[in-house]
Amino acid sequence: MAKVLVIADIKQGVLKGSTSELLSKARSLGAQTAVVAVGSNIESLTPDLAAAGSDTQYIADDPGLELFSAGPFASCVVEAAKQFEADLIWFGFSESGKACAPRVAAQLSAACATEIIDVTLDGDQIEVTRPAIANKVMQRIKVNSRQLVAVVRAGAFEADEGITGTQNVVKLSPPAADLKAVIKELVSDASGEIDLGDADVVISVGRGAKDEAGVEMVKELASDLAAGFGSSRAMVDGGFMAHNKQVGQTGKIVAPTLYMAIGISGAIQHLAGMTGSKTILAVNKDPEAPIFNVADYGIVGDLFDVVPILREEIKKIRS
Amino acid sequence: MKILTTAKKVVDVELTLHVENGAIVEDGLQYVINAWDENAVEASVQLKENNGAETTLVSIGNSDNTDMIRKCYAMGIDNGIHIDDPALEKADSFVLAKVLAKVYETGEYDLIITGKQAQDTDSGQTGIMLAEVLGLPCVSNVIAIEVIDDQNIKVSRLGDAGTEIVEVALPGVVTVSDSINEPRLPAMRGIMMAKKKKIVSLDLAGLGTSYEDVGGNALTSEIVEFMESETRQAGQKFEGDAAEITVKVVDLLANEAKVL
Repeated sequence: MAKVLVIADIKQGVLKGSTSELLSKARSLGAQTAVVAVGSNIESLTPDLAAAGSDTQYIADDPGLELFSAGPFASCVVEAAKQFEADLIWFGFSESGKACAPRVAAQLSAACATEIIDVTLDGDQIEVTRPAIANKVMQRIKVNSRQLVAVVRAGAFEADEGITGTQNVVKLSPPAADLKAVIKELVSDASGEIDLGDADVVISVGRGAKDEAGVEMVKELASDLAAGFGSSRAMVDGGFMAHNKQVGQTGKIVAPTLYMAIGISGAIQHLAGMTGSKTILAVNKDPEAPIFNVADYGIVGDLFDVVPILREEIKKIRS
Repeated sequence: MKILTTAKKVVDVELTLHVENGAIVEDGLQYVINAWDENAVEASVQLKENNGAETTLVSIGNSDNTDMIRKCYAMGIDNGIHIDDPALEKADSFVLAKVLAKVYETGEYDLIITGKQAQDTDSGQTGIMLAEVLGLPCVSNVIAIEVIDDQNIKVSRLGDAGTEIVEVALPGVVTVSDSINEPRLPAMRGIMMAKKKKIVSLDLAGLGTSYEDVGGNALTSEIVEFMESETRQAGQKFEGDAAEITVKVVDLLANEAKVL
């Protein structure tokens, strides 16, 4: 029986949904499951880690692990992978996952695949499918080594509602700190903002919003809907939106139930970050904007006219 | 300070791609410098201009790569190394990392700067694996580099919880995001000078290694086939009176798509 080790996605002390999605996929493949959780003050999450669908929980809980550092984090994953004898080692889609996966793979001499959207097991043979070239093509990849380290693309697997697990904690000793790459400070995102990766609804703003007042108007729509608030590259470059709000090939890849592209023309790099969304609404002045080629619903119009009406109408429906 | 920068030539992502019999149709494709590598080149040249550094570019690929190396010269890179060996055509990230490690070992470099991923694979592995192979510290997804002194730099990394400020003891590796800078357009004078500059071209033997030595005979994975992506179909697009069409679309979102 194949063994799948899932790296717990913990943000601000909360276990994120992707952990259960990955464990659900592992179970559907008939695999034995374990999670590895790395952080500080996280032991209280043990019941959640089990309930997410794991039968063993490897936990590295140490004050030194409070701030993310790829080296020590990867060491914990490697240690858990060795103890569990994992065949498949899966990270959820996150910057920490993208930073750690290649390290873990190099240390284990394992295959490494990022942004996978599917995995198949045929006996010992592992195959994965992943998009490449800004989502323009898909690759089917055959794994030759015994182990595969993978980063799973956001929204690729669905959580099984009925999934359960059992508590069986294995404590990992804290790894050595990385003395050559020392994290000095974390300048955190504005607190209370909704994480783009978690949000059911994501609303992104583009060049059409013109300036701060325009951005603020779209942001109010996002607040109404308790939506994640994202951005196109242009608004980040223009200094109107933070780097970590950029949706696209180079930024966040999102797959919410509803994605609203407001004043975004739809450059290929942006599309690569959001076309996995269930439903897409686009608002743009230019009827020829490429965003309309991927949108389920398109409103051709000036966002300064459309957004206030959108807010009003959505409020009516929700009340 | 000696900086080693990597650059790869990739298929132009703006073009329409077609897949036939499990392979991308080569006809009409154009190849350009990987956008993130262009950011890495710009970051290296800025460090040279602001702090003084000797910059060397390394690129693995076929003979077409020379024009890209010349472009990097025109941007301000001092030296170019071209690793051209047909054996590497199917190499994966791990093998490429081992080849780049050999290049690193030929010079006494203080800092390696790579793009955070290549636009053709979108894998984001090679730079990080290179650091692992060499046992060097590595920070990925970097949006700012500041030199503290000859032995230390301070970088900003976009992480999950915010911007991480990390001090790196050199030698080290950073992989850069496109948010780090806006690559310059080479000036005419630079373009003319670049034409005359020498490029060191080596195959694996010339680099003092072999395909087997860099793990080429034991690839951890291989691409079986390419497939067309499932493309989204354009849905309903409404034009006309803003109020009217917006009311209509909200109704569709609520009652047809059922996502409100």
